[in-house]
Amino acid sequence: MWWIPGALAFFIVFAFFIEWVDRRFVARLQDRYGPIYTGTGGVLQPWADFIKLLSKEDITPAASDKVLFRLAPLVLPIFPIVGLCLTPILGKPIIGFDGDLIVAFFLMSVYTIMIFIAGYGSGNSFGIVGGTRAALQMLGYEVPFALAMIGPAILAGTLSISEIAYSQSNIWYAIPLALGFAVFMVCSLAEVDVVPFDIPHAKQEIVAGWETEYSGRKLALIHLAENLEMVFISALATALFLGGGYGPFSPPIPPAVWFIIKTLIVAIVISNLRAIFARFKIITLVEWSWKYLLPLAIVQLLVLELFFELGVIPWP
Amino acid sequence: MGVLSWARAKSIWVLHFNSGGCNGCDIEAVAAFTPRFDAERFGVLLVPSPRHADALLVTGPVTKQIKDRLIRIYEQMPEPKFVIAFGTCACTGGVFKGSYSTCGGVDKVIPVDLYIPGCPPKPEALLNGIAELMRRVRGG
Repeated sequence: MWWIPGALAFFIVFAFFIEWVDRRFVARLQDRYGPIYTGTGGVLQPWADFIKLLSKEDITPAASDKVLFRLAPLVLPIFPIVGLCLTPILGKPIIGFDGDLIVAFFLMSVYTIMIFIAGYGSGNSFGIVGGTRAALQMLGYEVPFALAMIGPAILAGTLSISEIAYSQSNIWYAIPLALGFAVFMVCSLAEVDVVPFDIPHAKQEIVAGWETEYSGRKLALIHLAENLEMVFISALATALFLGGGYGPFSPPIPPAVWFIIKTLIVAIVISNLRAIFARFKIITLVEWSWKYLLPLAIVQLLVLELFFELGVIPWP
Repeated sequence: MGVLSWARAKSIWVLHFNSGGCNGCDIEAVAAFTPRFDAERFGVLLVPSPRHADALLVTGPVTKQIKDRLIRIYEQMPEPKFVIAFGTCACTGGVFKGSYSTCGGVDKVIPVDLYIPGCPPKPEALLNGIAELMRRVRGG
């Protein structure tokens, strides 16, 4: 158990590293350079932002709900950190038990609800609109998200994230569950609030959405929570669909290395999608997720059932 | 030259505010964030909310109508904060100096840290100004 504080520190370092990779990658796709002068190749840029925000003045607006306004940014990073403890990102999970897939899904839902509370508590009209949008888009993507995560659980015959990851030694579940993986990726874009679905903090429409009123260390914690959520979703996609720690030359190379590389690749795919899309309207997201994503997720489960009946895949 | 001044110098987030300019300076200021100039190389970001901002980039002579709004935006920003007057109008009032409807420069209303003259200044001038601001924040 001596390695748990190190693992928590690793999550935070990795979250900042992924923010730098994301900014550099998007900048290169847009024919820019992104941050390059802060540290080696700009890798310390998220740290500079974080330290600067921690040192800035912390304003509490008179119109805000004081308790919610102070509590929400403190509570927000906890959910992705606990979620990362469930995933076997360092070879084995810190807390793994049967049924932690449901807990992970619960943590993602509570994260979005906390965003709503943060926007509502700030007492700003833009903040309230942003929070309401976060809650509204959750109504759209959450059901197909849950259905897409059921597929790997059925294939592995367990509800434990790490057991699902360990059971992919023969085949990655993204291959038999390609449709479910696609639905999962689309919904995860909405979960981490990146561009096609960054409706809760649409910069051109509602100042900065739910985080409009947050300044100083509250904003620093909110940015940390967003980066950690990105890592959490990428790690979950790796564990459920992309074979977890398995990869070529796995016995000499430890599984944690493969897991981290795959997590990084999923994060780069997400930032690629962030660069090439424009923002959807809130009504389009909710409508499409009920019209297309949900039927596709159900079709995926039916196809899986058909595979079992035809004997293509043995029963778990 | 501690960690704090390093972090503050390397991460200057800018809020852009037009206080009655002709839009010429705004086009040039926003051009500094386009791929050709890319101010994000130095860690500079354009942020939408005054609560997130470190520097207020003001363009235009301050009209009497927008004076109160400018003061309000300035007061909404958390300390430590900097003000950049971008363009001749923002520096001195420019061709509108002495007009009955303008205050004649940003420094008549709020304290200004950095003046960037020009009508309009080039994006390179803004990058130069930001580099100067970074040098001052680091105490060099």
